Amino acid sequence: MNVDTRVPGHVPPELIRDFSLFSGPEMERTPAGNPQAALSFVHRDFPPIFYAPMNAVDGRGTWVVATAEDQRAVLQNTEIFSSDRQLFEKAMGEPLPMVPLEIDPPHHTAFRALLNPLLSPRRVQDMEVGARERAVRLIEDFKDRGYCEVMDEFAFPFAVGVFLQFLGVSDDRRDEFLGWANDQFHGDFEARKRAMRTVVNFVQSLIDLRRLEPKDDFVGFLLQAKVEGRSLTDREILGVAVLLFLAGLDTVAAALGFSFYHLARVPEDQRRLREDPELIKSAVEEFFRAYPTIQPVRQVVKDHDYKGVPFRAGDLVSCPTQLSNRDPAEFADPDTVDIARENNRHSAFAFGPHRCLGSHLARRELIIGLEEFFARIPTFRLKEGSVPVTYGGYVFGVENLVLAWN
Amino acid sequence: MRIHVKPGACQGNARCWSLAPDIFQLDEGGYVLPDDIDVPEGQEQLARRGVRACPERALQVKDEG
Repeated sequence: MNVDTRVPGHVPPELIRDFSLFSGPEMERTPAGNPQAALSFVHRDFPPIFYAPMNAVDGRGTWVVATAEDQRAVLQNTEIFSSDRQLFEKAMGEPLPMVPLEIDPPHHTAFRALLNPLLSPRRVQDMEVGARERAVRLIEDFKDRGYCEVMDEFAFPFAVGVFLQFLGVSDDRRDEFLGWANDQFHGDFEARKRAMRTVVNFVQSLIDLRRLEPKDDFVGFLLQAKVEGRSLTDREILGVAVLLFLAGLDTVAAALGFSFYHLARVPEDQRRLREDPELIKSAVEEFFRAYPTIQPVRQVVKDHDYKGVPFRAGDLVSCPTQLSNRDPAEFADPDTVDIARENNRHSAFAFGPHRCLGSHLARRELIIGLEEFFARIPTFRLKEGSVPVTYGGYVFGVENLVLAWN
Repeated sequence: MRIHVKPGACQGNARCWSLAPDIFQLDEGGYVLPDDIDVPEGQEQLARRGVRACPERALQVKDEG
C-alpha cells in the first residue's frame, strides 16, 4: 500500500502518524487481547488531532480526533462535519440513506423527533418485561451445563430477540434472523451483501403486510407517521429499519461480550456486583466507557481550521470512542476500570445530534443481561484451556468467550 | 441554585435524568425540557451530579444559591 497516495497535500507532514483501528497489534484478531487499552498510548505519544493514512475508511486515510473536547467540537458541528456518507450505496451499489444517521440537520431534527419517542428512556422501560424473559430463557438453557460460549449462546440471541421484540416480529423467526446477523457481522463481503439484501427484502415484506393489515407496531407507526408535513417513503422506512439492524445488534452483543470478559478476568468486580446489585448501573456505564466499540466518521463539507489543523472539504474525520473514553483530561485514571466511577461522561454512544438512538435500550440490555446472569449463574471464570479472541475494526469485538462455573 | 440549559445542546443522553429524575425532566423523546431549572433546596448536591453527568456539557450551574 502506498501511503503517500492516502495523504492529501494540505496535511502537514508533522501531523501524520502510523495508526489504524483496522490493522496492527491488537486490532487484528488477538488471543486474550484488550484492544481498547491497547490504544491509550495515543494520549501520551501523539498530537490531539493527527492524520492516519492507514486508518483506511472507503480506501482513504482519516484525520483522527483523540480528545473528548475535540470530538465534541467535531460531532456537535454538523455544518462542517457531515454524517451523510452513503454507506449502503458504497457497499451495495444502490442508494439507501441510513435514516436518520446519514441525514444532517435541519432535516435530521425532524426525523429524530419522530423516532426518539420509540426508544426514549421511558419507552425502554415498557420493553423491560419482554427483554428480561428473553434473557432468562437463554440462561436457563445452559445454566446446568456449567459453561457457555457467551457470544453465540447469550449475547447475540439476546440482542436479536430484543430487536425482534422492538420490531413486533414473532420469536419464531429468531434463528433465521440470527443467521442473517451472523452473515452480516462475521461473513465475507459476498455473505454480507446477501444478508443485507435479505434484510431489505424482509423489511419490505413487513411494509407491504402493514399496508394490507394496519397494526400499531414499528413499521405500522412509520407508515402512519408524517415528517415535515409528508409521509415517509418506503425507502426511508427501509433505511431506518436497516440502520437499526446494522447498528443495534453487533454493538450490543460486543458490549455484553466485553463486560462479561472483564468480569471473568476480575472476580473482585463480580463479587462487588453480586453483593451490591445497585452498583450494576454504574458498572455498565464504566464498561461502556472502558470498552467502547465504534468510531463515528464524518466528512468535511466546508474548509475549516480548528486549533491549527486544516480540515478541508472531502476529508474524513474519525472520532474513535476508544480514544475519547481514555482521555486523561476527561477521566481521572482513565486506564483503571472503576465500576463505581462518578461523573462518567463517556462517549460510547457518540456526541452530538447523532447520539446513538438506541442508547437507552442498549443500556437496559446490558443491565438486564448482567442482573439475570448474576441471579442464575454462580461466580464464573474463563473456561480452563479456552482463550477468547479480541479484535478492532469498525465494531470492536470478542469471540470464543467460554465461561465456566461450578 | 439555578441550572441553565443551553439551548439546543441537549442530545437526549438523559444522564442527568437517570441520576435525578425529579430535578431534570424529559420531554416525550427523552430530551431535557428547555427552561432553566430552579433546584429545590436540599437537592443541590444531586443537581450538581446531574450537571456533571452530561456528555454534551449542555447544563451549567448558574446561581450557587
